[in-house]
Amino acid sequence: MSGDPGRSEIDGRVLAWMREPEWNYDEARFEQLALELFAFQFEHCEVFRRFCEGRGQTPSTIEGWRRIPAVPAGAFKEVELRSFPSEATTHRFRTSGTSTSVRGTLHLDTLELYEASLLPTFRRFVFPEMTTPLDRAAIRVLAPPPDQEPDSSLSHMFGVALAELGAAGSSFDVDDGVLQVDLLLTSLVESAASESPVALCGTAFAFVHLIDHLVRRGVLVGLPPASRVMETGGFKGRSREMPPAALYAELKRVLGIPAERIVNQYGMTELGSQFYDSVLRAPSEPRRKLGPPWARVVIIDPDTGHEAATGHVGTIVVIDLANTGSVLALQTGDLGRAVLDGFEVVGRGPGAEERGCSIAADELLGREFP
Amino acid sequence: MTPDEISQRLGSLRDAGQRLKRRSLADLLGVLGAVLDTWRDPNSQWRRELEAELPATTGFGTPLIQRGLEHALAGWTSRALSDLATRELGAVGEHEAAPRHETARLRMAAGFDTTAVVLAGAIPMPTLLSLIAPLILRSAVLAKPASRDPVTPRLVACSIAEADAELGSCIDLAPFDGNDTACIRSLLRADCVYATGSDATIAALRSLARPGQRLVADGHRVSLAAVATPSRENSVTDLAERLALDIALWNQLGCLSPIIVFAVGDEPSGAEALAEDLARELQRAEKMWPRGAVDAAAGRDIARERAEAELRSAAGRRVVVHCSDSTAWTVVLEADAELRPAPLHRFIRVVPVNDQAALLSAMRPLGGQLAAVALEGFGDRADSLGRAMLELGASRVCRPGCLQSPPLSWPRGGRAVLLPLARLGDLER
Repeated sequence: MSGDPGRSEIDGRVLAWMREPEWNYDEARFEQLALELFAFQFEHCEVFRRFCEGRGQTPSTIEGWRRIPAVPAGAFKEVELRSFPSEATTHRFRTSGTSTSVRGTLHLDTLELYEASLLPTFRRFVFPEMTTPLDRAAIRVLAPPPDQEPDSSLSHMFGVALAELGAAGSSFDVDDGVLQVDLLLTSLVESAASESPVALCGTAFAFVHLIDHLVRRGVLVGLPPASRVMETGGFKGRSREMPPAALYAELKRVLGIPAERIVNQYGMTELGSQFYDSVLRAPSEPRRKLGPPWARVVIIDPDTGHEAATGHVGTIVVIDLANTGSVLALQTGDLGRAVLDGFEVVGRGPGAEERGCSIAADELLGREFP
Repeated sequence: MTPDEISQRLGSLRDAGQRLKRRSLADLLGVLGAVLDTWRDPNSQWRRELEAELPATTGFGTPLIQRGLEHALAGWTSRALSDLATRELGAVGEHEAAPRHETARLRMAAGFDTTAVVLAGAIPMPTLLSLIAPLILRSAVLAKPASRDPVTPRLVACSIAEADAELGSCIDLAPFDGNDTACIRSLLRADCVYATGSDATIAALRSLARPGQRLVADGHRVSLAAVATPSRENSVTDLAERLALDIALWNQLGCLSPIIVFAVGDEPSGAEALAEDLARELQRAEKMWPRGAVDAAAGRDIARERAEAELRSAAGRRVVVHCSDSTAWTVVLEADAELRPAPLHRFIRVVPVNDQAALLSAMRPLGGQLAAVALEGFGDRADSLGRAMLELGASRVCRPGCLQSPPLSWPRGGRAVLLPLARLGDLER
């Protein structure tokens, strides 16, 4: 936890919310914490303070958490946005980027909130059937382990998930940038033969790699019905792209996992919390992205800067209480629209540079496939 | 439209094109020059129809379309068309009996039987010229309209048919989804292809073209402006007004729209004053020729780039954002010359550079994508600087305020206008 008493107090209350077994989307609680965190970051992050003042928003004038000025994710490439002294930095996660583009950096003085946020969310939307903290599942991760990619928030997230939720036999299946296809395939065939479900997690591009390998070998694996896929990220800078519908069709054909058991995760390095498709949690309802109570999404009409009318497409802005060390309000590069109690991503535009942290991992995989 | 229908239209055009071969260049230039004159007339049927129909498909407002057409077509006269043909094909009249003499040779320039024209974007002038250029060469035209502008090609074809029914029978349209590979393959059965579009579109066409098939392509380009900034006390309002016209017309969606104005000079106040003047003039332009609505993605990009600039300013850099309450126009005075995204739709960056060497260094990464550069204020250095811009890759150097009114003879993409669409041959004596 942070050394600043004010920050520690906020962190403690946010952590307490994250650790509650039942989720409660308490609007008043979120409002209170968001405005207190805004006031703290306004005071402790000079760049953010000036930015907010330029927008005419200060802790004394703000009219609710929806009006907190959102920092564009791309700004992390050019300015340091932290609400703690630089010497207190303990971790740095870097955003995705190609070899020619600048990568942004998220500075952190603690991983406690990040990990406390990711675990219950991951469990709730990827393993909704888990009822006790002791439940475990077989997880295979198509991404490098965190010790090989220490500045990847995605690898870190998978590392935590694997350690806390993975059953025996769970593992990372990328080593030194190379997808370990033989080992993974052996494991998948065993899962199929023994009717033992498995959860495959990784970037969309990693799944394309896997599918390409299996197709080249003429291998089709019929994984047990309770198996699932959690995929995240896009194809930035990759030579081979596959639309989501095509990817999902291939995952069904090659691995036997249907679309209703494929969960897309929406997240990015600059965010402490993530959002997931509702398909496993609420299978009979429309697919949409849902997140934890301590992170909210607002769809903003870019022309007015105000909340878009219901159902209209706008910029996805995330207010995330897990971001206590940086800034809590982030303007993503994505368009979306509200759907019931969640949202859907309409499409990542060609101009959007922020595409989650998947590409950094994909770059490593790309070494094998020039 | 189906692939078979496209093939049928090509077949019909091939037949119609044979009759075209019998007509003289002077005759064709006379007809097409008259068509251009009609388009220059703001009261002509075609102009009125275009101004009425284009807003619905392109999002451009009527005042913007009127101003853009008036500005761009002013120099597109029948005389200018003849001059273009003379410059590229030889003297009109001589061309028929004795094509362009080169010592003891006769050089023939003949159009292909059919030319497929793949159109892109929403700006009428490139469409107009792309459709008449093959006809000058006696090549029948089958055009695929751009998805955003199905109006202009139809009206241009009608205007030609009205002026000359036989010539009108040599131009037809093939509207189809640009992702329909079977239709593209049918279209590419034309003898020559002239395509404009994104790099991805051009690459896709190249991959489907026949080996050795003539494919003339214009990919995406950008334009820039560079002005030697006067001091704040001597700021030139007229300069900002002309730059604002270049930026506002067609909402920066054309390759001749500047995306950066380089303010050259070692006095920071000069760039600051220019940015302020530009902001005022873009505000004025918004009143005269409103930009109109943009889609959510464009709005998001503008909002993002504004916010990132605000953050650079908040971080202590000398960055100033001037903008409208909506996303209608934006001027960002930058502190450095780093290349940043161009959201277009009247979003301009003013980038201060100390001297010409710094200017050329800043522009160099864009050299391969340069269309035009507007220069002003360089006095007796203007000529050498203009040459340097051409060497860098620009195909046009002009004054601010003229970017959106290129002459008919502008060598877009660094090529002649007509000759790339023709087969050349020498008869040696």
